[in-house]
Amino acid sequence: MATDNPGRTNIPGRPATTPFAAAPPQAASPFMSSVPAIRPDASGFRPFSTPAYPGVSPFSSPGPVPVSEAPGFRPAAGGRFNDPSSALPGPPPSQVSPALNYIQRFPTPQFTTTNQPISVGPPPTGRANLAPPLQPNVPPPQPPFGQPSAAIPAFRPPSQTPPVPIATPLQGYVAAPPVSSSPYFGQQTGYAPPPPPMGVTSLQSREPMQHPVSGPPIGNLPGLVEDFSSLSLRAVPGSMDPGLDAKELPRPLEGDVVPTSLSEMYPLNCHPRYLRLTTNGMPNSQSLVSRWHLPLGAVVCPLAEAPEGEEVPIVNFASTGIVRCRRCRTYVNPYVTFTDGGRKWRCNICALLNDIPGDYFAHLDVNGRRIDMDQRPELIKGSVEFVAPTEYMVRPPMPPLYFFLIDVSVSAIRSGMLEAVAETIKSCLDNLPGFPRTQIGFITFDSTIHFYNMKSSLTQPQMMVVSDVDDIFVPLPDDLLVNLSESQKVVETFLDSLPSMFQDTLNVESAFGPALKAAFMVMNQLGGKLLIFQHTLPSLGVGRLRLRGDDPRVYGTDKEPSLRVAEDAFYKQMAADMSKYQIAVDVYAFSDKYTDIASFGTLSKYTGGQVYYYPSFQAAIHKDKLKHELARDLTRETAWEAVMRIRCGKGVRFTSYHGNFMLRSTDLIALPAVDCDKAFAMQLCLEETLLTTQTVFFQVALLYTSSSGERRIRVHTAAVPVVADLGEMYRQADTGAIVSVLCRLTIEKTLSSKLEEARNSVQLRIVKALREYRNLHAVQHRLAGRMIYPESLKYLPLYALALCKSAPLRGGFADAQLDERCAVGSTMMILPVKGLVKLLYPSLVRVDPYLSTKVISQANGVKDFGERFPLTIESLDSRGLYVFDDGFQLVIWIGKMLSPDVARSLNLDFAADLSKVNLSSTDNELSKRLSSLLRKIRDSDPSYYQLCHFVRQGEQPREGFYLLTKLLEDQTAGTGGYAEWIMQIHRQIQQTP
Amino acid sequence: MGDLFVWLVSFLILIALLIIVVYQLMCLADLEFDYINPYDSSARINKMILPEFFTQGALCLFFLMTGHWFMSLFSVPYLYYNVRMYRDKQHLIDVTEIFNMLNWEKKQRLIKLSYLIVTLFLSLFWMIYSALEDDEDL
Repeated sequence: MATDNPGRTNIPGRPATTPFAAAPPQAASPFMSSVPAIRPDASGFRPFSTPAYPGVSPFSSPGPVPVSEAPGFRPAAGGRFNDPSSALPGPPPSQVSPALNYIQRFPTPQFTTTNQPISVGPPPTGRANLAPPLQPNVPPPQPPFGQPSAAIPAFRPPSQTPPVPIATPLQGYVAAPPVSSSPYFGQQTGYAPPPPPMGVTSLQSREPMQHPVSGPPIGNLPGLVEDFSSLSLRAVPGSMDPGLDAKELPRPLEGDVVPTSLSEMYPLNCHPRYLRLTTNGMPNSQSLVSRWHLPLGAVVCPLAEAPEGEEVPIVNFASTGIVRCRRCRTYVNPYVTFTDGGRKWRCNICALLNDIPGDYFAHLDVNGRRIDMDQRPELIKGSVEFVAPTEYMVRPPMPPLYFFLIDVSVSAIRSGMLEAVAETIKSCLDNLPGFPRTQIGFITFDSTIHFYNMKSSLTQPQMMVVSDVDDIFVPLPDDLLVNLSESQKVVETFLDSLPSMFQDTLNVESAFGPALKAAFMVMNQLGGKLLIFQHTLPSLGVGRLRLRGDDPRVYGTDKEPSLRVAEDAFYKQMAADMSKYQIAVDVYAFSDKYTDIASFGTLSKYTGGQVYYYPSFQAAIHKDKLKHELARDLTRETAWEAVMRIRCGKGVRFTSYHGNFMLRSTDLIALPAVDCDKAFAMQLCLEETLLTTQTVFFQVALLYTSSSGERRIRVHTAAVPVVADLGEMYRQADTGAIVSVLCRLTIEKTLSSKLEEARNSVQLRIVKALREYRNLHAVQHRLAGRMIYPESLKYLPLYALALCKSAPLRGGFADAQLDERCAVGSTMMILPVKGLVKLLYPSLVRVDPYLSTKVISQANGVKDFGERFPLTIESLDSRGLYVFDDGFQLVIWIGKMLSPDVARSLNLDFAADLSKVNLSSTDNELSKRLSSLLRKIRDSDPSYYQLCHFVRQGEQPREGFYLLTKLLEDQTAGTGGYAEWIMQIHRQIQQTP
Repeated sequence: MGDLFVWLVSFLILIALLIIVVYQLMCLADLEFDYINPYDSSARINKMILPEFFTQGALCLFFLMTGHWFMSLFSVPYLYYNVRMYRDKQHLIDVTEIFNMLNWEKKQRLIKLSYLIVTLFLSLFWMIYSALEDDEDL
C-alpha cells in the first residue's frame, strides 16, 4: 500500500485546503456511517468539476439528512469568506451565458484556486479569490450558515473516534483509480492534515481558521494523518537513496501525454494540438512567476493536422464582415458573452461592450444564450476559420509558387542527388496544391547560373547561361516563372532531361550566392516557396563560405558560438529581404563534407522554412527519404503569405517568440509559408503585479492565403484558469510544452554561448524548479534522502537529460559534426511538441515476438504490438530483434542470439555489409511482416521519413554510432546516465542556493 | 579668446552628436510602437551609425589637438566602445533580430546619451569658465 511516504508528501501541497475542503468530509465522516455516502465525492473523481458537486449533489441526493449537513457546511465556509470577495462578483456570472456545460464546470477551477491562496499568499488575496468560485454553486445555503465554524467544533468531539474506521475504506477506494483522481486527491488532502504532529510552522498564519476544524483531533490522530495523507498523494516522491533503483525511475514510455484537465474544464477550448501552455494554471502574481523557474509560455501549431472528422470549420461572414472587438481586435469566439437582448457582446479579452452588426443579430433565450448558437461554429468551437474579405488583403491572393534552385556541380551529379530530385519533382507535379494557378520555375547553378525559359509555346525548355556572377542580372524576367498547368509538358521535358544535361560536367565550383540573388529577383514579384538543393560549399561571388567547422581548437573558446551562426552577413540580409517579399526558403543539403548548415539555416530560419540534411547523400541509400520528404514538402497543404498574432487577456503579455519566422512588429509573426509541420513557441510575462481576473484567454489568429487563392483567418481560442498557488501551477504543468520551449531557448542560447554553458543553464533551471517545489513541502515533511517532484513533471528531468545529450548540445567537438548539430538544432526549433518529445526520448520496441506469431494483427501504430523499453542497454536482449524509432530514422538492432530462422528469412547475411540489406528483395512471411510493421511506424508520422538502418549486436562502429550513443539512460562518452543525472540534480537541489 | 572658440566648436559638435543619438532612439521608439516597420527602422538607424562614430572620433581628436587632454581622455571610453563594436561587426543593427535586441539597443543609446550630456555640461562649464577668464584678463 502506498501508505506512508506518498501521503505525507501531499499534505504540504494542499495545506490550504483545510478550512473549506476540509469541511465536507469531516462533517461527513462523523455522520456518514458507510462508504457509499461518500460516493458523490468519490465518483466525481477526475474532473475538477468534482468539488462543485459535493456542494450540490448531496442536496438532491436522497441520502440521509446528516449527509446534507456536510455540503451545507462547506458553503458556510464560503459564506464566511465572502465579504472581501464580494468586490469581485463579475467574472463567474458573466461567463455563464455561453454554454450551460461551461457553467457547471466553471466553478471548478476556482475551487482549486481556493485551496491554494491561503497556503502561500497573504490571506486577503486568498479570500478574494475564493469567494467568487464558491458563489455559483453555493448560493442557497449561504445565509443560514453564517457562523459555521462555531457549529462544527461542537460536532467534532463525537466524531473523533469514527474517522479512523472510515478512513480505511475510503483509502481503499481511492487507491483504485490512481491517475485520474489526482485533482480530487487534492481536496482530500485538505481535510487530512488536521495539523500534522510535527507542527506546521508555515500554517501558523491561518491557525485561527483552521483551529475550529482540526483542533480537537490533534491529540489522537497521528496514525490517521499518515493514512489520510498517503491517499492524497499528489507528488510522487522518488526515493533517491544513493543506491537508487534504476527501474523505479519514471520514463515516458507512452510518449507525449497531453494533460486533459484543461479541456475538461473548458470544453470549448481549441484542441491542445493547436495550442499548449507550459502550465494550465496561469499565475496570478509576479512573485509567483518568479518562483516558477520553468519557462512560462505557449507552443502554437496553428495548422496542425486534424484527424478526419475534426477539421476546422470554415465560416463565411460574407455580408456582415468579420465580427471583432473594436478595441483589441479579438475575433468573436465561444467565450464572448451576449447582453442587451442580443444587441451587444462583451469581448472576453478586453471586456469592451461591442455592438453586434445587424446581420449578425440573434435573440437570446431565457438563459442568455443566442438562439442560433448551434448554427454558428464560431460560438461553439475553439478553432474556426473565417473567410477574409478584401480588407484583409494588401494585394490579390498570390498563387502557390514553387521555385527550385538546384546545384549541378559534379559532386551533386555523382551522388545521384540531381536525378532523385528531378524524378521526385516530376512525380509531384500533378499534386502540387492550387492546381490551375500554381507557378513554377527553375534555376540551376555551378560556376555559372542557368536560367530556363519554359513558356508554354515552346516545345523544349530554353536554357540561358549567365556567367558574370559578380553583377547578376535576370534574362527574360517574364518567362522564368510559368504557370504549371499551361507549361506542364515543357516542365516535364525539362525534368526528364535535367540529369543528362549535366552528366559529364566537371565543374566543382558553386556560385550559390549570385544564384540566390537571381532567384530572389525572379520571385520578388509574387513570393512563394524557394527550394534550395545544395551540395558544394559556395565558392564564387557573394556569400562565399569557407571550411570553418573542422577546427577542434575553437571549441571551448569564446569563438565557439560563432560557428553556429551565419558566417557572412549576406545570408541574414537575404533572409530578411526574402521574408519581406513573402519568400520561404527550404534548404536541402546533401554534402559529405562540411557545408555550413549554420549559414544556410539562417535563410530558412527567418523565412519560416526548414532545413533538410542528408549527410553524405547516396541515391542508393537515401533516395527514399529524400523522395518522401520532398514530396511532402511540395504537396502538403501550405498557407501562403501568412501573419500570425497571439492575443491574450489584460495583464498578460507575450514577450519573446521562438521558432522559424521573422517578427514584423513587436507581436506580429511574419510567415511567408507555413504548414502543419511547423510549431512556434512564445514566452509570456505578467504586466501587472496582480491578476484580478479568474480566467485568462488566449487567441491565436493566423491570416493566410490558402492554396486555392482564398484569404482566410484561422482562429484558435483557449481559456486558462488563473491560480494563486505555486503548487497548483506545478500540478497543471504540461511537460511536453515545457520541454519544447526549454529546448528552443537552449538552442538559441548555443548561438551566443558555449555548449557547456547552454547545458548548465538547462540543468540549473530544472534544479531551481524542483528546489522550489521541495521548499513548498519541506516544512512539514521529512524529505531527507528523497527527491520529490510533482506528478505532472515526473519526466522533466529525463527530458532535460535527453536535451543535453541531443545532437545540438551534446559533448564537445568530437561528439557530433557541426553540420549535424546545426541541422538537428534547426529542426528542433520547428518541431511540434509530439515530434520533439519523440526525438528526445525515442521508442525502443522488441519486434521478434510479433514477427513470429502467426496472426497478423490489425494493429495500427506501434503501441498495439509491443511495449516500449527504457533506453538502456539492459533492455536489449541478445535473443531479440528491436526497433529504435526517433521519428527521423529507424534502427533495427539484431541480437547475437536471434533465432537463425528469423535471420535467414529476413535475408540477413551477417558476413555482408548490413547497410545494404533490402527487405523488399526477400519474399516471405517474416520479411513481409517486418516491412508492414515498418510501414505502420512510418505512417504514424508522415512528416518525415524514417530511414531504416540494420545493426547487429557487437558490430562496431556501426552499433555504437546508430544505437549505443543514443541510449541516453546509459553512461556515454563522458556524460552520466539517468541515475547519475538524478543524483546530481538531487544533490544540487539540497544545496541551499 | 581662442579657448572660448574651441569650446564653442566642441559644443556644436556635441549638439550634433546628441541629435544623431536622439534620432536613433526615436527610430527605435517608433519601431516599438509599430509606427514604422523593422526594415525602414534599421535602415535609418544604420545610415546614422558611421556618421556618429566619425563625429565622436573627430571630437575626441579635436580635444586632443587643442590640448584639452582631460576632455579628450573623458571621451576615450566612448570611442573605444565604438571601435570595439566596429571591429566585431556589431555596430550595425540586425534587422532580423531587431525586436529581440530592442531593449539592449535602447539601453546602449540611452547610456550614450547620458554620457554625451555629461560631456556637454563639462564643455559648457569650460566655455563659461574660459569666457569669464577672458573677462578677468581685460
